[in-house]
Amino acid sequence: MNEFWLTIISYAKLILLTIVPFVLAGQGTMLGGRTGIFNVAQEGIMLVGASVGFLVSYLTRSNELGMLAAMLSGGLFGLALAYFTTNLRMDQFVIGLALFFIGIGLSTLLPKIVIGVTLTPPLIPTLKEISIPVLSQIPVIGEIFFKQNALVYFSILLSVGLWWYLYRTQVGMELRAVGENPQAADSLGVNVTRSRYWTAIVGGMLIGLAGAYLPMVYTGTFTENMVKGRGWLAIALTFFGGWKPDTILYGALFFALIEVLAYRVQVLGTAIPYQFLLMLPYLATILVMVFSFRKARVPAFLGQNYDREKRAL
Amino acid sequence: MNAPILLHMRGVSKAFGSTQALDDVSFELRQREIHGLLGGNGAGKTTLMNILFGLYRADAGEIFLNDQPVHITGPKDAITHRINMVHQHFLQVGSFTVLENILIGAPRKNRWNNRYDAEVQKIQSLQERFGLQVPLDALIEDLPMGMRQKVEILKALYRGVQVLILDEPTTNLTPQEVDALFQSLRVMVQEGLSVVFITHKLREVMSVCDRITVLRNGKNVLTLDRQEASEDAFVRAMVGEGMDLSRSVIFAHAGQDLPAPAPVPLLRVEGIVTAPAEGSVALKGISFDVREGEIFGIAGVAGNGQRELAEVVMGLLPVQSGQVFLRDQTLPHPDSRRVLKGDFAYIPEDRLHDGFLPRASVAHNLILGLHRRPPYSNGRVIDWSTVFSRARELIGQYNIKTSGPEDMGGNLSGGNIQRVMVARAFSATAPVLVAHNPTRGLDIPSMDLVYQKMLERKRQGQATLLISEDLDELMLMCDRIGVLYKGELLGIVERGQFEKYTIGQMMSGIRPQA
Repeated sequence: MNEFWLTIISYAKLILLTIVPFVLAGQGTMLGGRTGIFNVAQEGIMLVGASVGFLVSYLTRSNELGMLAAMLSGGLFGLALAYFTTNLRMDQFVIGLALFFIGIGLSTLLPKIVIGVTLTPPLIPTLKEISIPVLSQIPVIGEIFFKQNALVYFSILLSVGLWWYLYRTQVGMELRAVGENPQAADSLGVNVTRSRYWTAIVGGMLIGLAGAYLPMVYTGTFTENMVKGRGWLAIALTFFGGWKPDTILYGALFFALIEVLAYRVQVLGTAIPYQFLLMLPYLATILVMVFSFRKARVPAFLGQNYDREKRAL
Repeated sequence: MNAPILLHMRGVSKAFGSTQALDDVSFELRQREIHGLLGGNGAGKTTLMNILFGLYRADAGEIFLNDQPVHITGPKDAITHRINMVHQHFLQVGSFTVLENILIGAPRKNRWNNRYDAEVQKIQSLQERFGLQVPLDALIEDLPMGMRQKVEILKALYRGVQVLILDEPTTNLTPQEVDALFQSLRVMVQEGLSVVFITHKLREVMSVCDRITVLRNGKNVLTLDRQEASEDAFVRAMVGEGMDLSRSVIFAHAGQDLPAPAPVPLLRVEGIVTAPAEGSVALKGISFDVREGEIFGIAGVAGNGQRELAEVVMGLLPVQSGQVFLRDQTLPHPDSRRVLKGDFAYIPEDRLHDGFLPRASVAHNLILGLHRRPPYSNGRVIDWSTVFSRARELIGQYNIKTSGPEDMGGNLSGGNIQRVMVARAFSATAPVLVAHNPTRGLDIPSMDLVYQKMLERKRQGQATLLISEDLDELMLMCDRIGVLYKGELLGIVERGQFEKYTIGQMMSGIRPQA
C-alpha cells in the first residue's frame, strides 16, 4: 500500500475517533429534547465531565471510574435541569445558561482544590485501542473501524440503539409523544414527569461522558476551557440532524471531518485560516435548516414546560 | 326504567386562583344512559369532567364508582377505572399515525417492539361494531376534524370504557356527522356503556340524552329526565332568573322579524385568490357582497379558509388576484389600517394572538384601533378621561368581569377577553364588521347581547360578515349564508331556503344541484 492510502486510512481513523464527543453530546441533547427539555448547558456540562473524569482517573488511576464519575456529574446537571423546569416550571433557557456558567466555574475550581497548582501537567492514562478479533484483520476497514477505543464503539452502538428504541418500540413511540404533545400523552396515562426526568438525567450523563473523552483520549490532562465550543456545536448538530439519532450520527461524521481538517490546516499552515474551517459546522447547520425547513422536524414541545392544570384561555 | 347508579360525584369544589369554578357540585350517572351535562360557557361542565378524568385535582369532593369510593389522581387512574374522555380540543399527536395515537400508553405484553397485528385486529373490530371507519395508517394532521373525532372515540373504546365523557363533541361536525355520532352513541349505550355528553346546545341534549343535569356558574341547578321536563325549564335553568327572555334573540321563539336589507352592496369581494401556504387554505376565486343592513354568514367546518377570508376582507392577507370594494370604491390591498381608518371593525378568531394585549390595561384594549379617532382622540392626543369613562360604560354594558379599566388585560378569563373583543368591535360603529366566531366562550346572556347588537347594526344599515362554525347561530342571525369548503364558496343560500341538511351537505363538499 502506498503512502497516499495510508494517509487516507489514518485520516478516516482519526475522524471516527473525533466523532465521539459530538455523538455523545448530540444524542444526549436529542434525548432530552424528545420530552421537551431543551438543554443548552452542554458546554458547561462537558467541562465538568472533563474535569471530574480527569480528577477521578488521576486519583484512582482508572479510566473506568473516571468515566463513571463524569457521567454521574453530568447526570446531576440533568437532574437539576429537570427539577427546575418540570417541577418549578422555570424558563429552560435561563436555567440552561445558569448551569453552563456553574459548569465552567466548577470545572476550573475542582482541579485547583484537589490537585493544586503544579509545574508539570498531571497526566492520566489514555484510553487504549481495542482490536476486535477477526474483524480487525479485514484490510482497510478493519484498520479504520475495528481498532478504536471503547467509546467509539459505544457511541455508534448507542446511536443505533437509540434509533431502535425511539422508532421501533412502543415505549419509544410514547416518549416521542411526550415531546410532541405532552397533554395527549398524559391523558393516555403516560407519565410525563418521569419521562422528562430520566431523559434529562441520561442526556446529562451522555454529555458528561462526552466531556470526559477529551482528557482521556486527546490530551491526557485537563486544561481550562478545553471543550472549546464543542458543547455549542452539539446543539447545532442536534438541529442539523433533525433530532433523530441516525442523522445525528451522520452529522457528527461531518462535524468531525471539519474538526480534523481544521487542525491539519492549522499544523500545515496553508492559506485558509483554520478559524474559517471551525466556522463551517455552524454555517452548515444554518444552511441545512434553511433548505430542509419543511422536512426538519423539531419536537413540537421543545423548550416548553407542561402544566396539567393550566387552563387554555 | 331506573337503572342502578354507576357513578356518583359528591360535593365537588374547585377553584382556579380567585375564581370558584365549581362549588359543591354533585353528579350522578346511571348505567346505560346518555347523560347530558348542560350549561353556558364558564358553567364548570368541563372542569367537573376533567376532575373525574383526573386532569384536575378537586379541592373537595368524593367520587363513587359502583358505590365504592375511588381516588383518581391522574388520567391513568381514570383509565384503570374504565373512565375515558374525548376532549373538545383533541389531544392527539399530529405527526403520528392514527394507529400510533390510539396505542400511546396502551398496555401490551411486550412494549419493546412495534408489531401491532393483534392490536390492529382489535381496533378494526371496534370500528365495525361502532361504525367508526378511519384509515389507521393516515397521519393525524392530514385528517379532517370529523375523522379526528372518531380517532378520539376509538382511543377510549380501545382501552375499554364503562364511562365515556364527550366534551362538546359536535363543535366541528357537519349535521350529517352529528347524526352519525349520535347513532354510534346509541350503539355504545346498548352495549352497556354510559355516556356523559357535555354541551351548551339545548337541542342536542333534547335529541339524544336520557337525563340532563344543568350547571350554572359552577353550581348544580337541576337534574331531570328528558321526558319529565319541557325545553323551557332547561332554558330557565341555564340562563338563570336575571335574564329577560322575552327580549332575548335566542329564545324569542316566534320567528324573528328581520328587516330586509337594502339592495345596496356595501362590502363587495370579487374573485379573491390567495397563494397556498403551509398551514393555511388557499382561497379559490371567492366573490360575494354584503348589503346595507345585511348579516351575511359564512358557514363551514373549521379550517376551510374562514380565517383567510376574514383576513383578506380586513386587508391583512395579500391576494394573488381579486379585489375588495367598499361602496364601489376599490380598497388598496393589502392594507392593515382598515380598522384605524374607521370603515371596518374586526372580531378575530384567535383573540389572544390577533386581538388582545395581555400586558396592556383593559381600557387600552377596549380602544385598540379606535384610539386615533374621536371621541378618544382629537387626532394627535388621546383624551384619557373620555377613554376611562367610556371603558367603564363598556365594562358595565358588556358585563366584563374585571376590577376596573386599569386592570391588566392578562388577568381576564377567556370569556371576558372575548367580551372585550365584542365590546370594542361594536363600539366602533363601523360600516363593516367582520365577526369570526364572535360568541366563542361566551355565556348565554352575553351571546344574546352580541345578537342584539348585530340586529342593531342591521337596523342602522350597517353590513356584518358573520363567520361561524355554529350553524344554528348562522341560521338564527343571517339573511344569507355562503358555504366555504376547501377555500371555495360552494353556494349562497337565502334565508327562506335555510335547511340544516342541505347546508351540511355543502359543508362536506357536495355541490348543490343547480
